[in-house]
Amino acid sequence: MIGVLLDGLVQGLQLALLGVGITLVYGLGGVLNLAHGQLAVVAGVTTALLIGAGFGRIPSAFLGLLGAGLAGVIIDRTLLLPAYRRRGEERLLLALILTLGLSFGVDGFLAYRYPSVALTLRLPVGAVVLAGVRVRTVSLAVAGLALLAFALLALFLKRTLLGKAVRSIIQNETGASLCGIDVGRTRTLIVGMSGLLAGLAGLSQGLFSNLGPEMGPEFTVLALIVAVVGGVRSLSGTVIAGLLLGLVNAVASFYVGTYLTWILLLLAALLTLLVRPEGLLAYWT
Amino acid sequence: MLRVEGVAVAYDGIPILRDVSLEVGRGEAVGVIGPNGAGKTTLLRTIASLVRPQAGSVSWDSLRLDLLSAHQVARRGVVYIPAERELFPQMTVLENLQLGSYPHPSGYPVRLAFIFDLFPRLAERRHQRAGTLSGGEQQMLAIARGVMMQPKLLLLDEPSTGLAPLLVAELYRQLGRLRDEGLTVLLAEQQVPRALEFCRRLYVLENGQVVLAGSPDDLLKNPALKRAYLGIA
Repeated sequence: MIGVLLDGLVQGLQLALLGVGITLVYGLGGVLNLAHGQLAVVAGVTTALLIGAGFGRIPSAFLGLLGAGLAGVIIDRTLLLPAYRRRGEERLLLALILTLGLSFGVDGFLAYRYPSVALTLRLPVGAVVLAGVRVRTVSLAVAGLALLAFALLALFLKRTLLGKAVRSIIQNETGASLCGIDVGRTRTLIVGMSGLLAGLAGLSQGLFSNLGPEMGPEFTVLALIVAVVGGVRSLSGTVIAGLLLGLVNAVASFYVGTYLTWILLLLAALLTLLVRPEGLLAYWT
Repeated sequence: MLRVEGVAVAYDGIPILRDVSLEVGRGEAVGVIGPNGAGKTTLLRTIASLVRPQAGSVSWDSLRLDLLSAHQVARRGVVYIPAERELFPQMTVLENLQLGSYPHPSGYPVRLAFIFDLFPRLAERRHQRAGTLSGGEQQMLAIARGVMMQPKLLLLDEPSTGLAPLLVAELYRQLGRLRDEGLTVLLAEQQVPRALEFCRRLYVLENGQVVLAGSPDDLLKNPALKRAYLGIA
């Protein structure tokens, strides 16, 4: 049972990585990026291609992550510009359509160009025993990376002036401009960071099992579910939501079967929307 | 100096400002008074580049402000304190002030000490969330944050709105200190006596046009103004 719970927490951290990326971009820009999952895939495919070309695994993973971050920056500075020129609901809807189109485009391109490229990362040691419990090293690696990412993010947002500027834009975009903060440039930085987080989630998938180019939409939906359940207002809420959903998923898979996964996760999102719809609507004004 | 020349602004085809021109010299405290809907807020928002004029220009020393975006104008030292304050409600007083230092972070401790000396109430509540402050304290915080930005020109939009008279008096005392230390101020104010007391020159705005301009003494000699704004026959 402990093993199942630990597994659930680690999976939850991976879900949280996905959800936090979506929450950051929504909080800062008022847009939901439906191509978010493709950023995870970009990291995976880039890493796999580099490893296949003979590069070391760690440099490849690093470059894969950077690739995902860069892809985020490019999307923000090109595709999303028409959306940013509008406000509120119009901006949200236009961004949904644009990023949905992009996700189809990326999927199609990858299916055509790299149909069988998949990222599989194996660690030298399979499992270790900690306090009498057998823990897979993969779980430790993913947990370690995710926790490090969240710690750095929290430090950035709470302790640096730029991080406070990011939070200020989420709370009051006009006020932030009046303080001399370049909202557009800060937003680009955050979209890049959300790409890095998505990339890390993608690499985690490569560690757990394998990451294929077709997994983009699945990641996007998972990210959205976590963000919605956490309430897209709060980053800590999203992390907690990820952990809870990871636990639910692991326990259910273990006791009932993996076919329940999607049903449970979608049910959770549905219930949240029914009980607390204002979690999403609060940012529409 | 601030130079507003022939500015015209319309929202959805409805003219709000028509051919407005004014000047504010360095170190001057200049006021804009007028009834509700005269366009005072729109004028200040236009100078701050939150609104684009359809005609005319706004410049500070020879730099065209109307060609810059709002955050660039703020970085250049033209700081707008809106009537709505636009604070960051989930962040503390201290964090709001820190963000005021965003464009020019050096010298932050000295400026903070100056602000806390000017507004001791903010010092007491430095770890309190801005959203939980009273109206008067929020107004002080908005002005304090603006002063943290080391403004060359402070644009104040009806700072007395919604405040009790005692608080307004206290606020204007602090603003007077800043003015006396050489801060350039353009003040839009509904409370005409306050404006007449605070400013060296004033413009009267009605229906989006400047109808009168001059020193407080000049304006007080105008019977129409006295009747309209001071209720003195």
